[in-house]
Amino acid sequence: MQEIQESKLRLAVVGCGAITTLHHLPAIALSNRVEAAVLVDVDARRAEALSKSFGVPETATDTSGLQGRVDAAIVALPNSLHAPVAIDLLRRGLHVLVEKPMAMNVRECDEMIAAAAAAGTVLAVGHEFRFFDSSLLVRNLLRDGLLGELRRFEMRQGVIPRWPFATDFLLKKETAGGGVLADFGAHVLDLLLWWLGDWAEIEYWDDAMGGIESDCEMRLTMRSGVSGFVEISRTRNLRNTCVFEGSRATLEAGVWDPDPEIRLLIADRQVSLAGRARRDGSSGLDFTQAFVRQLDDFAAAIRERREPFVPGREGRRSLALIEACYARRQPLVLPWSIPSVSREQAS
Amino acid sequence: MSLAGRTALVTGGTGFIGGRLAERLVVEHGAKVRALVRNLAGAGRLARFPVTIVHGDVTSPSDLAAAIQGCDLVFHCAYGTSGSQKHRARVNTEGTKRVLAAAGTAGVKRIVYLSTLMVYGKTGDGDLDETAPRRRFGNPYSDSKLAAERMALSSGLPVAVLQPTAVYGPYGGVWTGNVLRALEIGRQILVDGGEGLANAVYVDDLVSAMLLAAVKGEAVGEAFLISGEEPVTWKEMFRRFERMLGGEPRTVDMTAAEALAYWRRWQRRQPRALGEAFRILKQEQGIRTRIERTREVLWLREMASAVLPESWQQRIKSKLGSGGRPSAPDGALPIHPLSPEMIGFFRARTRVRIDKAKRLLGYAPAFDFATGMDLTEKWARWANLV
Repeated sequence: MQEIQESKLRLAVVGCGAITTLHHLPAIALSNRVEAAVLVDVDARRAEALSKSFGVPETATDTSGLQGRVDAAIVALPNSLHAPVAIDLLRRGLHVLVEKPMAMNVRECDEMIAAAAAAGTVLAVGHEFRFFDSSLLVRNLLRDGLLGELRRFEMRQGVIPRWPFATDFLLKKETAGGGVLADFGAHVLDLLLWWLGDWAEIEYWDDAMGGIESDCEMRLTMRSGVSGFVEISRTRNLRNTCVFEGSRATLEAGVWDPDPEIRLLIADRQVSLAGRARRDGSSGLDFTQAFVRQLDDFAAAIRERREPFVPGREGRRSLALIEACYARRQPLVLPWSIPSVSREQAS
Repeated sequence: MSLAGRTALVTGGTGFIGGRLAERLVVEHGAKVRALVRNLAGAGRLARFPVTIVHGDVTSPSDLAAAIQGCDLVFHCAYGTSGSQKHRARVNTEGTKRVLAAAGTAGVKRIVYLSTLMVYGKTGDGDLDETAPRRRFGNPYSDSKLAAERMALSSGLPVAVLQPTAVYGPYGGVWTGNVLRALEIGRQILVDGGEGLANAVYVDDLVSAMLLAAVKGEAVGEAFLISGEEPVTWKEMFRRFERMLGGEPRTVDMTAAEALAYWRRWQRRQPRALGEAFRILKQEQGIRTRIERTREVLWLREMASAVLPESWQQRIKSKLGSGGRPSAPDGALPIHPLSPEMIGFFRARTRVRIDKAKRLLGYAPAFDFATGMDLTEKWARWANLV
């Protein structure tokens, strides 16, 4: 009864692209704690069409009039607009949930964190993969040392996308900040850092040739001493799991799927355990429910004046690693890409 | 003429052949590439290069006009890949018509149109060259490609047409990734011992021919068959893919008569199997995905539009293929049935001649089958396909 009596947090959703259409708005509709009050997009028709389908009362083409009309905003714009728009909203006293990657670089992250601190507003980062039950289980198993001494890890994440992009911002360095590493890699690295702690050394390879990378690989050594391999792709369907090999057991869990199978191989490898992670009383999670959890946590952080589950400080961590990767970039050698025909032959 | 510094529009740039072409235009030749892209999600591979991606549709005159303005060259590789067969055929004909119109208005200096061997219809044994009559094949893909090729050659514009055979290589679908996926779940029939000729060509050889067709004056107004130096048999082709996958046998020898009898048995099983298939489909998304990846669905949707008349395709598509595929009693992989048209296709010993391309374009295939397939295997392993 308490929840029904509480007034819902009024949200503006800034940016009406694919993530808003597919996840944020459906999640808002399912949440008891938030409601969408205004949809903002430079494309007025797009905002209006979505406002009709999701029953959102107002639309706007910019964020100038949001103050007083909403309590908080979801910023789901091209990556290059995350920092300027979020900082402006935070300074005007609005709480902000910003999509990943948090910004284009660490400097922008610091400015966002400072703006939230100065205004006393909540800044959360959209790393919804952390809200999967499986992600939490992996974190707990690793934290509690169930696998024994960790020897090696491996993450191979690759999906040929079918995302209904509204614009081409993800295909340009100036609006995306990078390729697959800055995009899907932000999720992968966020989980990795959350699970294993800070990194110490990296080697990084990608296939960009004057544009942005579609495939990348990295060898990481963490501060704990454990090292491993990470592969991320937007041109291949890979195994999409993480593997942690410890002295007592090996754990393999799906990462892309919100309700993946998790396997635990006890060290003698004779028998393994496979199943799905569940919170008490909950059934299998789908993607939108992870967004609902993210929203509910954001709303609770605002009401309870506490940090959200993924605060700006955490969003900054994966971005710092992404930045370090690009600074150490080496070309990813693909045998079939070696120019095979001389320039003379065709000229 | 050199390609360096030239501006080229590539349609179909997110695809297997257009993607490799865009890459080589930029990396090897220093050309400026624009790609007209309908599905932005598929453009990840293109975005690796300094390519200008223009969001638009090849059947939209305004999208084309924007993309083509200031271009010296057009490589038209786009074809219908989604929707009904009718829609795909319309993309092939309308798309080509509008590309030609836009290129004419913009004063483009050369248009390279990617056609197909299928414009010669069902081919028989013996040599085939460009003097052979063009014939309707009887399915929307081939017939619309034929209509588009005719439009291109009669447009009065500086057009060169390439007619590739079975193109394989990294990022390939029909004759690469799809073959691997089909062999993963079932055995391929080698008709008459697989001695029919595949006339395969490695993607880089085709792309080299396209680049030559863009610069050689002799190419204008001409069509060129493009294949590898030596024709390989279907047995060599499927066995090579079989070797990549390893493990159990994935090919089976049959005479044409046996293959036909097998097809008929498979067809008779359909009504009962259909009910069973729908029952399973209702319950199980995973099985649905597996069935959608069978040979019949893969090929009849994507490539064998080149082989079967539409009535056949619709019939098989509606039945979702392998619901009725007999499983082998010995526990081996089931055998993918071949339609009578496919049996004829795999049986033919058509030897595609590439003399004209050699003579007028200076085309010289650089990849023999072994080399091309070794590179393809490296890619397939990397792509998690084997």
